[in-house]
Amino acid sequence: MRNALLIAWREFAENAKTRGFWFGILLFPMIWIIGAQVPAFLAKKGTPTRNFVLVDRTGRMSAVVEAALERDEKRRQGEAFREWASARLVPGGSLPPVKGEFDLGRALGEVRPMLRTNVGNFESPSPRFRRVEPPPGITTDGDLNVLEGDLRSWLREGRSYVPVDGKVPVSLFAAALILEGKSSNAAPILRFWSENQADTALREKIDNALSADFRLREYVRLGIDPKVVSRVENARAEVVNLSPRKAAGEERVGIADLLRQWAPSAFVYLLWVAVFSIAQMLLNSVIEEKSNRIIEVLLSSVTPVELMAGKLVGIAAVGLVMVGSWIGTLFLVGFWMAGSAASSGAAAGGASRLPLELMTLLGDSWILPAFGLYFLLGYVLYSAVILAIGSTCNTIKEAQNYMGVIVLLMMVPLVAMTFIPRDPNGPIATFLSWIPPYTPFVMMNRVTAGPPLRDVLGTLVLLVACDVLAIWACGRIFRAAVLRTGQPASISQMWRWVRGR
Amino acid sequence: MSAAVELESVSKRYGDFRAVDGLSLSVPEGCIYGVLGPNGAGKTTTLRMILGVVEPSTGRVSVLGHGSAMSVRERVGYLPEEKGLYRKMKASAVIAYFATLKGMSRRQAELRARELLDRHGLGLFADVKTEALSKGMGQKVQVLASIAHDPDLVILDEPFSGLDPVNQGVLEEIVRDLKERGRTVLLSTHVMAHAERLCDRVVIISGGRSLFDGTLAEARRVVPAKVRIRTNDSLEPLQDLPMLRELRPLGDGRWEFELEEGADPQAVLEACFTNQVRLSHFSASEATLHDAFVRLVGPAAREASYR
Repeated sequence: MRNALLIAWREFAENAKTRGFWFGILLFPMIWIIGAQVPAFLAKKGTPTRNFVLVDRTGRMSAVVEAALERDEKRRQGEAFREWASARLVPGGSLPPVKGEFDLGRALGEVRPMLRTNVGNFESPSPRFRRVEPPPGITTDGDLNVLEGDLRSWLREGRSYVPVDGKVPVSLFAAALILEGKSSNAAPILRFWSENQADTALREKIDNALSADFRLREYVRLGIDPKVVSRVENARAEVVNLSPRKAAGEERVGIADLLRQWAPSAFVYLLWVAVFSIAQMLLNSVIEEKSNRIIEVLLSSVTPVELMAGKLVGIAAVGLVMVGSWIGTLFLVGFWMAGSAASSGAAAGGASRLPLELMTLLGDSWILPAFGLYFLLGYVLYSAVILAIGSTCNTIKEAQNYMGVIVLLMMVPLVAMTFIPRDPNGPIATFLSWIPPYTPFVMMNRVTAGPPLRDVLGTLVLLVACDVLAIWACGRIFRAAVLRTGQPASISQMWRWVRGR
Repeated sequence: MSAAVELESVSKRYGDFRAVDGLSLSVPEGCIYGVLGPNGAGKTTTLRMILGVVEPSTGRVSVLGHGSAMSVRERVGYLPEEKGLYRKMKASAVIAYFATLKGMSRRQAELRARELLDRHGLGLFADVKTEALSKGMGQKVQVLASIAHDPDLVILDEPFSGLDPVNQGVLEEIVRDLKERGRTVLLSTHVMAHAERLCDRVVIISGGRSLFDGTLAEARRVVPAKVRIRTNDSLEPLQDLPMLRELRPLGDGRWEFELEEGADPQAVLEACFTNQVRLSHFSASEATLHDAFVRLVGPAAREASYR
């Protein structure tokens, strides 16, 4: 017992010193930060101003396009301003509702009394799109083929030039050519040249502006009031989402219900990452001792059972600390977000209520207890198998062959995670629950769906039995194989060891 | 003197392969005992059975008066053949860890580790990760780890392999020091020079069987001593001497005799004198452990390499 604890402590202390452990601890907060903040950050700062040349052969459309882009830019500035201002409000202050087109002077005047003193100046974001004059030497009213050929080489080579109306050199992101439609009543044609086919925003904006303008003129030409058209197009059926499982008077399905359906999937993923990353630690630790023959010294001091038990407990402790820190972070972030949503007095919109609902869900559902239980049971099952594999291999490379198979098998619950929430008590989910290696993940996925008691208890008993069996069989393989060198053992050899021959 | 280790017709089979085949030996307390043999002779398996790491298929093992080394593991130290350490652990921490596994308290073990490193010139490296140590230093750390808990019986499997001559000398010192303090050392090697310098007794095994078990002097006597003389007289009078086994002319009046086992070269000198064979040169050479080993193991080892 003392020896097993000594081994467990060393495993814990050594693994806690590794980069992998700290990376694991920080993984969850990092994913959250990256997932939530980076796209917003990139959208704000990452995309440079796109310079484009607009050649309007119709003579009417450039004004339409420019007006549409101008409206967009105003809206964007308005959003940036509100974001800037909302972070600088005096306690209890709130922003006035948006009305009309954004105007910085007016908005500042409205908001100023609500802001703290010394907040500095608002800096408008640089515009997303800017129409520039064509490169020198290009005449826009000549032959279309010649014009496009010239623009094409400028775009392809990405050369920069100083436009006649500017001072700073620019390089072209795109060239948009607007031509008359095929017939007098057809919509205009947009020929859009760009090296960057991934960023479609500019093309779509020009397209939308042209199409909307054309539709509007068509309605007028056909004698239909555009206001009527707009009202009709915006009409929607009224949808009320109800659930029969909820108490009378509360059948309305809200964000909490969606969360209840999908949150377990996040925990399945967490479970999967946790089991996997610490199984990897276990494998590394066994292979290290085996490849440098420390195992012999250990086995002259402790029994194989003590060695195995020490490793399992030590690495489980590493895993528990890691998972505990993830869940702790989740709670901290949740409470912080819930708190800030409440204090900023924002409208009770969906997004801001999410953290609060999540905290409530975690507080009064089986998610966390089930997570702890399935983590331990799943860990024991997989780690026993990994200990056995590690004991028969001399290098990580040899072990990877076996690990490949295990990874493949373990992909099933990850794939299942995407459809089980839609039918959590359906035949596929039930079937997978009864396969012990998948039980922890699949049952975790079903935990908020009220699975039948028969499934819950039956699969649990089966899983525990499977854990015991795995420990027993893998212990036999471990004892027989751990001192061997040379070729890794074959499956049939392992089977003979299990049978004790 | 009682025995620190005793094996009684111990065998170990792996499937159809007999790694050790009916081996018996007795290691007296307080001596340095060498297990010699060619590659694949069963040395490591024998040591592992003594340690209780491997169960013998048949036969009886007794270590420090107990049926299994595991029940007296605090009194046994072990250095395996292939050397390795936890790469990310500090030298002192590794030594202390193995000492705690052998029953020392953590505090005691840490003090002891530093003391040992200081005494063996590695004090400056106590807080260095073992991956940063040179091979020789790492091996020294491992030797220290095997003796940190001050065991009564130390088992060293090929302790000299991979060490330069200076460090081999240092290790020989450590082994002699253990003996001086009354500890028993059991070491395996296939380098005869070390065994010759260190061991009180040796067992020579090949193919899992014992070919010889006894003191160094006894081992040397396995190979006949040789006498070389130079004379212009006839050797007729010497022909009938019972201690002469073989007479070989080397030309130019020089001769070489092989003596019967246990014969004293002085007797040859005496016989020459009484028979009036005048000598211009006389030299007697005793066989070395190396000669004994080659004679005993040679045929088997060559056979084994063709198998």
